[in-house]
Amino acid sequence: MKRFCTSAAVLLAASLPLHAQQADPAPGSDISAPAATINDDSSTTPEASTTPEDSTDTTRDAATGTTDAATDTTDETQTDEEPTDGSDSTANAADASDTGRTPHPVMEVGADWPYWGGDAQATRYSPLDQITPENVGSLEQVFTFHTGDLPEGTAEGKYSPEVTPLKLGEDLIMCSAMNILISIDAATGEENWRFVPGVPNEAIPYGASCRGVSIWRNPDAVEGDACATRVIQGTLDAKLVAVDAATGAPCEEFGENGTVDLWQDIGERVPGWYAVTAPPALVRGIVVTGAQVKDGQAEDAPSGVIRGYDAVTGELAWAWDLAAPEENRDGPPEGEVYTRGTPNMWTTATADEELGYVYLPMGNSSVDYYGSNRSEAENEYATSLVALDATTGEEVWHFQTVRHDVWDYDLGSQATLLDYDGTPAILLPSKQGDIYILNRETGEPMTPVGELTDLPKGEVEPEYISDAQPVSEWHTLRKDPLEERDMWGFTPIDQLWCRIQFRMANYDGFFTPPSTERPWIQYPGYNGGSDWGSVAVDTERGIIVANYNDVPNYNRLVPREEVTSKPINEMEAGESGGENAEGAADPQAGAPYGINVNAGWRNDVTGVPCTRPPYGGIRAIDLATGETLWDRPLGTARRNGPFGIPSFLPFDIGTPNNGGSVVTAGGLVFIAAATDNLFRAIDIETGETLWSTVLPAGGQANPITYEADGRQYVMVTAMGHHFMETPVGDEVMAWALPRE
Amino acid sequence: MSAVDQSSRYQHPTKAAWGVKLLGWINILFGLAILGLGIWLILLGGSWYYGLAGLGLLATGIMLNYYMMAAVWLYLVVWLGTVGWAWWEVGADWWAQVPRLVAPTIILILVLLCIPALARHRTTY
Repeated sequence: MKRFCTSAAVLLAASLPLHAQQADPAPGSDISAPAATINDDSSTTPEASTTPEDSTDTTRDAATGTTDAATDTTDETQTDEEPTDGSDSTANAADASDTGRTPHPVMEVGADWPYWGGDAQATRYSPLDQITPENVGSLEQVFTFHTGDLPEGTAEGKYSPEVTPLKLGEDLIMCSAMNILISIDAATGEENWRFVPGVPNEAIPYGASCRGVSIWRNPDAVEGDACATRVIQGTLDAKLVAVDAATGAPCEEFGENGTVDLWQDIGERVPGWYAVTAPPALVRGIVVTGAQVKDGQAEDAPSGVIRGYDAVTGELAWAWDLAAPEENRDGPPEGEVYTRGTPNMWTTATADEELGYVYLPMGNSSVDYYGSNRSEAENEYATSLVALDATTGEEVWHFQTVRHDVWDYDLGSQATLLDYDGTPAILLPSKQGDIYILNRETGEPMTPVGELTDLPKGEVEPEYISDAQPVSEWHTLRKDPLEERDMWGFTPIDQLWCRIQFRMANYDGFFTPPSTERPWIQYPGYNGGSDWGSVAVDTERGIIVANYNDVPNYNRLVPREEVTSKPINEMEAGESGGENAEGAADPQAGAPYGINVNAGWRNDVTGVPCTRPPYGGIRAIDLATGETLWDRPLGTARRNGPFGIPSFLPFDIGTPNNGGSVVTAGGLVFIAAATDNLFRAIDIETGETLWSTVLPAGGQANPITYEADGRQYVMVTAMGHHFMETPVGDEVMAWALPRE
Repeated sequence: MSAVDQSSRYQHPTKAAWGVKLLGWINILFGLAILGLGIWLILLGGSWYYGLAGLGLLATGIMLNYYMMAAVWLYLVVWLGTVGWAWWEVGADWWAQVPRLVAPTIILILVLLCIPALARHRTTY
């Protein structure tokens, strides 16, 4: 979505007025308003889980002890000794019950960035404060590391690495687009080791992505043991790989020489159909992973099963097959496979050592835009946040954000654990732009949830389409519905053409159902709202920072006889074209319709977006009230212009963006994400950009911050993104303040 | 029609006169496109602006071809109407004004630049 036509340098960006779109704010603080589809089955809610134990202190000491050991030279700038939400201090062994699994010590964020989401709570908040709004302007680049992983052959045009490194001790540990594991020195960028798993190009599903890796410390190992601290990743060719964090050597005891094959019990091996792109969650020594099942291919697709593996041995601990949870808990019977075509989890789950749960943001079944053939179980769990007991694989609760989703509104963001009104809570952003806060023991909403009613049911499958949908009345990033005057272009002629398209399409606002006689407009589109970059939560200041997309999709269900594309399992190897935006001419085999998505709704003649800017923004939200503190377009027009010519205009037009932010105790928000290839620091109090630098490639990745040798670093990878149409690269870049 | 005859007596059209002709034809082409698509939009229940503006642009183009000073006045009316309509639709949202105002303003400037040539034509009659 890059070719925004801009002209006339005198034109200034004007940020859109904000409207909390859903009208009736909930009266008072009635937090138990219509509560979507919470699992009411009390038998699955967790029994009281508090047996405060003396184990608390030892656990906590273990955590800080190990962290300090790795970083003892650098703790002077760690400003805050308190855990951000106290989860580790209240850790207890209550839920370990029959499995005998107890909470593991969590690693501290600060000098380290030990989890993909920063801390164990996935807040993306760092207590570092060396870099401040006053001195951020003097940041200088310290090093650039090249992973060397660039697309070759059939991988051209399919790279969307989205890589975020972890920092532990003196090392940065990351994967590359094709799952090469790399450790580099956090202060200098010099390579320590690399492990090449040899992922073939055919394994690339929709894009070559590896958002990150996970680190796990074996509490039963002695320091110095092989794989006492291990790096675990899921790969595009559907393997779990574990290597020693110190040496990169495969952990021999894990699976077969460090590898577990996730194709086991999935069915026919079709490279690219089933792939892992997100870091696994680790809860009490269990590695929990889902996988991306390539969208839009066929109803008879690989299962969306979620599996837990022993982090030491790689043995299957449990499976959660949502259509056969009891029957397939220990794997399917001999000769059978996990239930095919079920909703999958392609994004990052959140681990909760304290409760022993893992929170799964589920997506949809492979056929996203037609639902009449879905099973009851699919309908129950699609687009839901599901809490599983990570030690047993049993469901605890689930919370559904879309009923009978035919819009590909997969939950894409990692949920964030926090303490809300003194209760352990979980914050869930969605692609529709809604932000929910749930009690994480029960899944009950703690913020008001409203309901849209009398929604249109359309003509394709009116019995299936739900005429009521949940929405957050606490906060939504969603804007007002489109009108004809929101159509855009470079000249009156292309604007006029988009107005004609607008009038020719079905559009009844949010949740307009799919149609086939005429196209339909989906707004927000499947890119969000919030996507995999997730939101950042400054738990000290009480501020949520959410970047978001603001683009519609222009879609049409294509009758079967007009569908020319084939599902991936019927293609010859290497036949699949990877440059299409997701959903552009997908077959949806097994359903009566294929799907054609014009992602970002661009003019089919000029490539210019049919709707006015901004196409993306960033917003600060008061965690206490849900009110907007500031909101602004994210991304300048510098790379965009008529006919694809960069305009170099420094104005904030607000571009589509992918990738999240980091917030710091120093009072800054660091974010790249936008398609202008800038990495920037924003004042968290005002929303003003205080510093920015040009990246050599697209920065569609979550940044991190850490400390090495007494200096606070900020880091982002510049590797580009095929769907966001930013240039590809292999750079891992770090900045810090000049040495005094 | 008499304008045609008179201009044909003019032996060596200046470069400026050719420029007027060229702009006239550009306006006719764009006017036809906007008029045609604009009628389609009206039939779909959309804005009437494009149909009207397309008509105005087409007429401006034809009059420029006849070297009529009235083309300037007509286009000025079209442009002022465009500005008023654009403000009514999106106000001070400057990005949203790009497709509404930039091209019509460029046309306005070019039409205004025709004034000397049009004036010269008139004096030669």
